[in-house]
Amino acid sequence: MTLSSKRYEVDDILAAQEFYHSRQWTDGLPVVPPTANAVQACLDWAMMPADHLVGIEPVRNRAITAEKLAINAIMAGCLPMHFPVVIAAFTAMLQEPFLVHGATASTGGCAVLVVINGPVREEVGMSSSFNVLGSSDRATTVIGRAIRLILCNLLDVRPGQIDRSTLGHPGKLSYCIAEDEDNSPWNSLAEDQGVPHEASAVTVMAAGAPRQLMNEWTTKPEEILDTFCAEIKANLRHYSIYPGNYAIVIPPQLRTHFDEAGWGRKEIQQYVFENARILRREWADVGKGAVVGRRGDQEYPALPDPEHLLIIAAGGPAGGFGAVIPPWLGHKSKAVTVAIGACLDCEPPAN
Amino acid sequence: MTLEILDPTHEGDTSGFALASRLSALEGATVGIISNGKRNTIPFFDAFEDEMKRTYGVAEVVRRIKSNYSAPADKYIVKEAENWDAVVAGIGD
Repeated sequence: MTLSSKRYEVDDILAAQEFYHSRQWTDGLPVVPPTANAVQACLDWAMMPADHLVGIEPVRNRAITAEKLAINAIMAGCLPMHFPVVIAAFTAMLQEPFLVHGATASTGGCAVLVVINGPVREEVGMSSSFNVLGSSDRATTVIGRAIRLILCNLLDVRPGQIDRSTLGHPGKLSYCIAEDEDNSPWNSLAEDQGVPHEASAVTVMAAGAPRQLMNEWTTKPEEILDTFCAEIKANLRHYSIYPGNYAIVIPPQLRTHFDEAGWGRKEIQQYVFENARILRREWADVGKGAVVGRRGDQEYPALPDPEHLLIIAAGGPAGGFGAVIPPWLGHKSKAVTVAIGACLDCEPPAN
Repeated sequence: MTLEILDPTHEGDTSGFALASRLSALEGATVGIISNGKRNTIPFFDAFEDEMKRTYGVAEVVRRIKSNYSAPADKYIVKEAENWDAVVAGIGD
């Protein structure tokens, strides 16, 4: 064994719960005791030495090692086969554009949305269908939970410590979904970000709670998207006016209408880019007149450009529902996609 | 039969950070204020600056605003801070 973490001896599994809870090392739910054997199995699956440096948290210079990620993944309920997804998600979060410290410390109270693409979805038994935004399966639930425990235990992102969220939202416990690539007429989200079709990948986004919507009374793409745009505009009016990444979740029933009309990702992105925007003076309609100033006629788009819209195919087969997932705070944090198993800092072969 | 379990937290201090030495007095000092740039910092720091000068004899107050209120201070501000006697990192919402 090459594990270097401090070891503790407890009487049994129940004692382990109280041990971790009493030190604020949990999210309040029971945890799986991270024994050396269980942690080593994760590292073996990912073919990583315990001291492998996954990344460095840039604000406090904290080194994030594979061993510590594995301990928290086990606690969250992960199996070894889930661990490479956890590594990739946290690698993505440590990339500078994600701004991990700001996103997790802010009073804004976002959570880290993790979207999974590629063959790994099937390999580890992820579901993209029923109840997709509410813990649809074991794999996505425990992977999302692992992210939260890692933030708590490695970066002190606990409520009242680094986490200064005024409200937070339920997605903080686990906010991980897999895209429904098999039943989607479009390229996957990861492919849209440049990842090859054969590769598995994760996309992370500092995200607010999902805002659910419904429109079952039209088949026209424009009218369906008008409902999505209305929800995005509500976020611009009520929460933050800054443009950034927005994600929209489109279940099969609505996807069918887009497909039949010949609309793909590009057409959807363009329509939302053109229509999801408000004038600053609209803030006066929702009690924010004090900050309208002289710029009432200034237009604020939700998206800096069409590509900032992340389109996620997911959800159960029936129902004209959809969801808008707003950004934490506009452009302050950017969504990041990383291929699972890829080394971001590796040198190319010498020859 | 007992169970051996592992510590899930960050162990050891690899950051290399240490507290700066404390000032014995503020009189005649140059004090920087690094603001996160939110609206309400302006009246608050106006009053704070006035209080430091009037009550504590601070010679100069340098006010700087971060370009991104959720990110660490810009490098040029950190560089400039090397010339100050003390820094107040201030936020306002």
